[in-house]
Parts: sequence; C-alpha cells; structure tokens
Amino acid sequence: MTAGMQERARRVRQRAQLRAWEYRQRRHASGVWFRLRRVLADAETAFDISEEDAGRLIAEGYATEPVGDELAPKKTIVFAPKERILHLASRREIPLSLGAATLAARAIALVRWP
Amino acid sequence: MDFRAKLISTLRAIRPVLEVPGVLVLGSEVPNLLEPDAACTLVVSQDVDIGVSVQAHEAVKQHLPNIQGFSASADEPSVWLPHSPENIEINFIGMDPRIQDLSETYVLEDSELPLMVFGALSLVRPGHPVCVGDLSIPLPRLAGLLLEKLVTDRTAVKGERDLLVALGLLALASADDLEELTHEYGALSKESRFAIRSNLTILSLMNPLPQMPDPHAHRDRVAALLRRFERIGEP
Repeated sequence: MTAGMQERARRVRQRAQLRAWEYRQRRHASGVWFRLRRVLADAETAFDISEEDAGRLIAEGYATEPVGDELAPKKTIVFAPKERILHLASRREIPLSLGAATLAARAIALVRWP
Repeated sequence: MDFRAKLISTLRAIRPVLEVPGVLVLGSEVPNLLEPDAACTLVVSQDVDIGVSVQAHEAVKQHLPNIQGFSASADEPSVWLPHSPENIEINFIGMDPRIQDLSETYVLEDSELPLMVFGALSLVRPGHPVCVGDLSIPLPRLAGLLLEKLVTDRTAVKGERDLLVALGLLALASADDLEELTHEYGALSKESRFAIRSNLTILSLMNPLPQMPDPHAHRDRVAALLRRFERIGEP
C-alpha cells in the first residue's frame, strides 16, 4: 500500500545525494552557474554593452567579475554606477535573468543595489 | 464556490485533527492564510498540507473516524480525497523534530495513516494560529517554514511556484523573523546553507508568474538576505 511512498522517499534521498554533489562542485567548473547567478543577484539592473565600452569601464578602474572568465565564450561582467553606464552609447538594458539576452551578451554592465 | 471557501471548508471538516498539538497547516497555503483576512489570492494546487509530528501520529489517528466527507486515496494513502467538490484534498505529511539530517526522508508505515516524513520539516516550529471566524488554524513560525521552502529541492514548474511561495513568506517577514531565520540558517550544515543560497539566486532571477508574488519586485529583499547569510561566513 505504501510502495509509492517508499519510491518517493527514495527519490528524495537521491536528490539529496545530488545536492551533496552540487556542493562539492561549487568551486569547480559546473559551479559557475551558481556564481553567475550570485553576481546577478547583487545587481539592480543590467545592460548589454559593447566590448569597447566594457574596455572603457575597466580602464576607468571598474573591476571585472571573475565569473565572466569562467564561461565559454568569456563575458566581461563589470559593476559600475548607473549614471556612468547611462553615458555609454552601446548600452541596452536587459532583463536580469539567465535568459537569452544575458547569455548572448559578450559584455554586461551591472548596477549594484544601493 | 471560490478557493478560499473550499480551503476553509476543508479545514473546518478536519477541525478535530487541527486541535491536536503537533499538527500544523503547511505548504503553499500558509502565505494564503497569512494574507489579511486569509484572503487566499495566490494560485496554488487544490490541496492542503497537514503536517503531523510523529509524536502526534497516534492522537491524530484517533480523530480520523470523526472526519466526514473524505476517504484515503488507494494510490497514496496519506492523501485524503474529498467526496464533495466543496472541499479540497488533504495531504498528510510527517514531521520529526528529532531528525538531524535534513535530507533524511522515510515512510512512517501505518495501515491507517502512513506518512512521508521529510527531514526538512524538522525546521518547522509551531507559530501563532490564524483565526477565521471560530476556526483556529495552527500555522508554523515563518522563519522555519521559509527555510524549509528554501532548502528543499525544487524542480520544474512546481519548483518555481514553491520558490515564489518562499518569496511570499519573505515579503511578510518582520525584522524578528529575519533574525530568527538567520540564526537558524547558521545552525544548518554547509550543504544545506549552500542549497538555500543557491535557491535564493534562482529566485532572484525568476520571471513573474500570474497571481504569485513578483520576484522582480522583491529582488532587493532577496539580495539583502543573501548578504545577511553570507556575513555568517561560508565554506
């Protein structure tokens, strides 16, 4: 009578094993998605910008986020003040998600939460 | 008959069970019931989770014969099906506060009321009941339920909805709730803490769903909670 429940419990335990694996992977390559989501969570808004404009921000001293180098192809991800980003000619606001716009962008400028 | 009326009708029907110490209404109905006047505006599945602590299991069973209008499902005997469309399904689930490992899950075998006992539900503690008319509905403390929602693996559409339920709870959290949440988070294993932070990052980037809390509107709260958790120090 409880065979279905036993099977469900087994699947829950299986997912727990998967979670332990994910935890062990957190600093390795497959943990990149967590690190990318973590960076994006800190952003109030995001802009797709040209690589040239990204270069300008970096030259002005804004640091890149290491997680961008962990992706293939690499992305330049940089936090900067909104007023600075709004002066970039190439800026195009994109939704903060792991959707097509974020994944397609080669360079992303982020505005940090106040 | 709207969903709120069905939910309240169902809870009235099982009032003797709700009065047993160690029984709590859990799951996605909690934010619905915490809305002003238990307005129930969130879209959720048409069932209600009733958490039964394993210590209360025998006492709950004594009251089951008094519950009219429901019968146990042949497929899943912990689910009780309504005989009338004016009620919704009851999903009995087990809580065992003695569980240390949140991933531990077992079946409490019983011919009358078997229970799936979820380790993550050991985080849940009794809170203040909500009263609807003369009906007192036992609810958990917000912090423990929110942690349970965040630590449990979420998959597919139901997973997204469950995370939005967690968001609904976070939106309701007071400063005291956040303090309690942070304290309890700090006592969890490193794997559980990572799972919670991972789910928060997913929540932060989710798209809105109709009649559910809007993740875009609460992204700042999610980011603040992540930072709060990280201040504890992370492996």
